Amino acid sequence: MKYKKISNYSYNLHVIKTKKFKTVTVQVNFKRKVKKSEITYRNMIINTLCESNSIYPTKRLMTIETENLYDLSYRGMNYISGKYNVMNFEITFLNEIYTEEGMLDRSIKFLCDIIFKPNIEKLRGKISFCEDSFNKAYNSLKDSIISQEENPDDYARIRMLENMEPKSCVSYRSVGYLSDLEEINKTKLYNYYQTILNSDIMDIFVIGDVSESHIKRVIEDNFDIVKTLKKPSESHFMLPSKPKMLPKLIKENKKINQSKLVLGYKIDKMTDFELRYVLNVYSYIFGGSSDSKLFKTVREENSLCYYISSISQPLNSILFVRAGINKNDLKKTLSLIKKEFNNMKKGNFKNDDIIKAKITYVNSIKELEDNPQSLLSLYAGIEYLNSDDIDDRIKKINKVTRDDVVKLASKIHLDTIYLLEGDTVEKN
Amino acid sequence: MKKTKIEKLDLYLYEEVLDNGLRVFIVPKDNVNGIYVTLSTKFGSVYTEFKTSSSKKMNKVPLGVAHFLEHKVFEQKDGKDPFTFYSERGCDANANTSNYKTTYLFSGSNGFDECLNYLLDYVQSPYFTDENVEKEKGIIEQEIKMYEDDPFFKMYDGIIYNSFLKHPIKYPIAGSIEDVKSITKEDLYTCYNTFYNPSLMFLVIVGNVDVEETINIIKLNQENKKYDKVDNLKIKTYNEPDEVCKEKEIKKMDIKIPKLGIGYKINCSKFKDNIYDTRIYLNILFDLKLGTTSVLNEKLKQLNLVTSEIDYTLVNTDKHILVIIMAETKDPDKVKKLIEEELKDLTVTEDEIERKKKTRKSGCIYRTDSIYAINNKIVSNIMNYDKVITDDYKKIDEININEMNKIIKNINLNNKTVYIIDKS
Repeated sequence: MKYKKISNYSYNLHVIKTKKFKTVTVQVNFKRKVKKSEITYRNMIINTLCESNSIYPTKRLMTIETENLYDLSYRGMNYISGKYNVMNFEITFLNEIYTEEGMLDRSIKFLCDIIFKPNIEKLRGKISFCEDSFNKAYNSLKDSIISQEENPDDYARIRMLENMEPKSCVSYRSVGYLSDLEEINKTKLYNYYQTILNSDIMDIFVIGDVSESHIKRVIEDNFDIVKTLKKPSESHFMLPSKPKMLPKLIKENKKINQSKLVLGYKIDKMTDFELRYVLNVYSYIFGGSSDSKLFKTVREENSLCYYISSISQPLNSILFVRAGINKNDLKKTLSLIKKEFNNMKKGNFKNDDIIKAKITYVNSIKELEDNPQSLLSLYAGIEYLNSDDIDDRIKKINKVTRDDVVKLASKIHLDTIYLLEGDTVEKN
Repeated sequence: MKKTKIEKLDLYLYEEVLDNGLRVFIVPKDNVNGIYVTLSTKFGSVYTEFKTSSSKKMNKVPLGVAHFLEHKVFEQKDGKDPFTFYSERGCDANANTSNYKTTYLFSGSNGFDECLNYLLDYVQSPYFTDENVEKEKGIIEQEIKMYEDDPFFKMYDGIIYNSFLKHPIKYPIAGSIEDVKSITKEDLYTCYNTFYNPSLMFLVIVGNVDVEETINIIKLNQENKKYDKVDNLKIKTYNEPDEVCKEKEIKKMDIKIPKLGIGYKINCSKFKDNIYDTRIYLNILFDLKLGTTSVLNEKLKQLNLVTSEIDYTLVNTDKHILVIIMAETKDPDKVKKLIEEELKDLTVTEDEIERKKKTRKSGCIYRTDSIYAINNKIVSNIMNYDKVITDDYKKIDEININEMNKIIKNINLNNKTVYIIDKS
């Protein structure tokens, strides 16, 4: 595998040449500091551009072209990465060795048509997205915003974060907001689109068995439209906020069979080593696997749930625990979670637990190389989060000690307990 | 071991049947770090009445027993938890149950020999007690409740329930909470002793492995484990009518946007020799009529009637294929009407079929980049055809408009059930 970053454009081009895959993946990322009011705009841009364009005037024709391109897949995505909002467009297609000559160029052109050739209209000198694609994108986003509240698990997680960090971007909803959507029109959206092309930080990742010089040429030909000025990126990492003196319990209701419990923990300022490595080991032992303390105690020994896990977000200095339980078991579940949390603080875990966490981490890092998307995330992490490469990650995770984990445990504080309470009659 | 080239995909399949009947399939892939291993038995949720020559009458077990058994196979007499074992080696372990099979699996890149031995050992050493069976009931109850809160799962289960009258595919894989409460350790042993016999199981290994070493590990592991032969296994058959059981149901849930489900129950016994070949044609047909490249899909979006593409999936018994169509829509009745109108004319063109054949061939190549996808393909081939298809391209090339037209001519879409989930 050979990695090269080419920075002499207004964007960065990252080429990861590998013979491992029969596919080529190209991802174009646009990022800027996250602003709550812009999240909805960015989702609208993705929906509008992926709906149709001036080359393929309907989504149907666009999809038929993907079939002609040997089942090329494409997607747009918007996510919040700490202080930044990243929007990307990605295609994966078969290496032309397996299809026919010219498919690489045609596939990349297909991606560029999505990004740069929108369906637009001109009215009294003003350019806007065309009505039809705007409306379809609008309706689709509106439905996504409304229906995200239907999934009790996601909804409970969002509501916990909104209660824990009401003003911080940690709790922003990455799908956007109805109130912002109502303010958007096709002209405003087009103007916003122009600001993306002119001022976002842009990175292009290409992964597959490709010729670097050929990729360089194809990208240069297709991306000459980009006028964005090259700006240095700042750190994505959020500074931790202070936890509440006493954890707050919030209960909300929904007509569901199973109540959803989410606990939010805030973590005091961590060292770089802690947030990249020690937190991983901590979370693995606490609730990160089917062999974790929470899984063993709450599920296996007390049969209180089917799933329970802890998930860390090093970018935001937070950790959360989630479980689906009977609402009548809240007190017992909380007390067991608290017991295991205290066990972590006291160092009541085995050295074997640390070894297991490390082996699992090392294996998962090695397996990143088996999949183009995960390999691409790895390189995006190196670019955006200053992450270590595979070799350094393996070296550093192996340096984590029991003392490191215990020391970190003392920095973790329970802040918010959220229960989405099912009001369906429960039989116990 | 028998070695077969998987045509046009740079892969080889190695297979062997051991003395005890266990079938082993290995596809080595040296350009990856990971290995993905599945051990499956042809025992799923629909097998609730069966007998062998050692039992006089049919054994009848509660619904949900295959899934319950899947949970309890992880229980070990020495108290060691398989999850702990795999975790110690940095590997993932899991299991799943479907209508027709149960699969135990692990994946990872470390300690393969031990992990493989342990998979065979823990699955082949059942330890069910009244106490550990009782303990599992609370966990499975929560699993059932979790799925009951998902409107699409609820609708999917509801459509199948209302489509079938006698066949146990009618019921959810995990059974109901009441079914689960009635399961005993005796039920588990009855099923285990019948269906976990190596002659009904198969092991599939894909990834960075040495074929010779791997088969030797398996043989050594199996040679001292003695099993009685399963003679005359008889599974109850059902005289399932073509008509659906219930034509319409509306269920209220705490949701924001209603959901529409339609199930078309199609008797396919006369279409092709293997029902899974018919499935291929029906998949293409419904993809062309309702999928992302269909005219109807475009129309529904234009009218702002659906929130995303229509979803469709096929479920089958030995005789019927149930085509399940699901959509999220503010106006279920109107969308239902439009789907029905669209399906009145099932004509497709040769060009359309050729386009879909091209994507299927591409799919074969995409799959070879993933050890998970290769393994899943082998498992589903064994389940559907009792052999691994190593010339997928040829099979795809054989798809043709004449066969499609024959199916279209004889298809009957009159037996359908409609399931709507509305806002409460």
